[in-house]
Amino acid sequence: MTITGCHRVEDCFDGSSVLEYVFDTPWSREDVLRLRQIGEVDYYPHFPRPFFRLRGHDGGQVKGVQGETTCRVILPGQCKEDAKREFEALFCPDQAGER
Amino acid sequence: MRTVYLNNAATSWPKPPGVAEAMAQAVADMPFHTGRAPARGTDPLRLCRREVARLLDVEDPDRIVLTTNATMALNMAIHGIGLRSGDHVITTVTEHNSVLRPLEHLRLAEGLVVTVVGLDESGAVDEEQFGRALGRGARAVVVNHASNVTGRVNDPLRLFSPARRTGAVTILDASQTLGHVPVKPSELGADMVAFTGHKGLLGPAGTGGLYVAPGLDLEPSIVGGTGVRSDLATQPPDMPTRLEAGTPAIPAFAGLAAALEWRRENAAGFEARTQRAHRLLRSELRRARVRIIDDDAEAPRVGVISILLDGWEVEEAGYILGESFGVICRSGLHCAPLVHHSLGTAPHGTIRLSVSGFTTEEDVARAGAAVRELAA
Repeated sequence: MTITGCHRVEDCFDGSSVLEYVFDTPWSREDVLRLRQIGEVDYYPHFPRPFFRLRGHDGGQVKGVQGETTCRVILPGQCKEDAKREFEALFCPDQAGER
Repeated sequence: MRTVYLNNAATSWPKPPGVAEAMAQAVADMPFHTGRAPARGTDPLRLCRREVARLLDVEDPDRIVLTTNATMALNMAIHGIGLRSGDHVITTVTEHNSVLRPLEHLRLAEGLVVTVVGLDESGAVDEEQFGRALGRGARAVVVNHASNVTGRVNDPLRLFSPARRTGAVTILDASQTLGHVPVKPSELGADMVAFTGHKGLLGPAGTGGLYVAPGLDLEPSIVGGTGVRSDLATQPPDMPTRLEAGTPAIPAFAGLAAALEWRRENAAGFEARTQRAHRLLRSELRRARVRIIDDDAEAPRVGVISILLDGWEVEEAGYILGESFGVICRSGLHCAPLVHHSLGTAPHGTIRLSVSGFTTEEDVARAGAAVRELAA
């Protein structure tokens, strides 16, 4: 699964930013579990369309639904670029940090 | 996965049969503009004025000014009464930003004095606090008929009646009520009633209006072409032209006219179904053991319910209900920021579910099951 697009959804009062990423294929269970490399994953496979949430080591979050080709990434006020680079490296290793 | 639409307080869906067809027909037909060519019997603006006048039980349809939405209508009302520096306006914490922001704009720009009345222990607008504010005199009182966060229907007459005795202009925001509960300006003590076409009236977005009582002369915020009295250098004095400069969205009003005609034929049954769906949903949510905001069973309400779910952030819960369970609702402050301080739901707001007469028992059951799953 590779990132094909990214756009800013909103900037929050606390300094964090919300981005929406678009991928070339839908999120699979394996893709969700891959997020464990960068934080703690809550995964709800029993929901009609399984929801997942990553709580990153750096305070960032990733939220999405298995089967969708998008997800939302909340970058913390601090270490925003580091969190972004770390997430992108998982799904677009060659271009991490260049987007 | 079938989608359950429970966001009717934002905009109603689905629309009644005939609305989309009327809009398409208006686009396909050779164009005409009211007042700018011989008006035909099917002039949608006239139909809308006539149907809304009937709903409001007012005699003269020309007192119904058509706008693009309730926000424009409220701005027209608030800006049109000639408020000046030092004038006092009273409003409530339950208001939408379509009231709060115009008032704040005038407070900052013109030195308006604004009193925002809170809620009493029962969750209703605090009449004692309102009375004290009114004791200082007021040029205008702006009150919403029902909260778009809790669905609670206010009792405008109890506020407007004393306000009128002091000479204040009374403005009712009926965005959440027109089409759901009786809105009769003469019985509610309202000098002006702002409404939207795309919620309880079941019309398309981009439609709304303002009722202006006879004898009340608003200063127009927007002036320009009207198609009539082009010889005048200033805006024509006649209503509704005085407040309707520019070409109207005729296809949108064709859709609203179709919705209003459908409603006239189906209103009683439709509203009974709305209230039934509301009761069923409230019952389902109580079973889910979520926190229902302002769950006073005695209070009159439109079909809007706000909840909080332990263990889930508001935004996240709304996202999951929509994306994982196909239950479309809305989360956040709902453009009514002040009421959340009174309800204890600031700063993140609530998850709001809102029904219509098209909401089925199966829809409600599926929404209840989804919320129970999250609350487990």
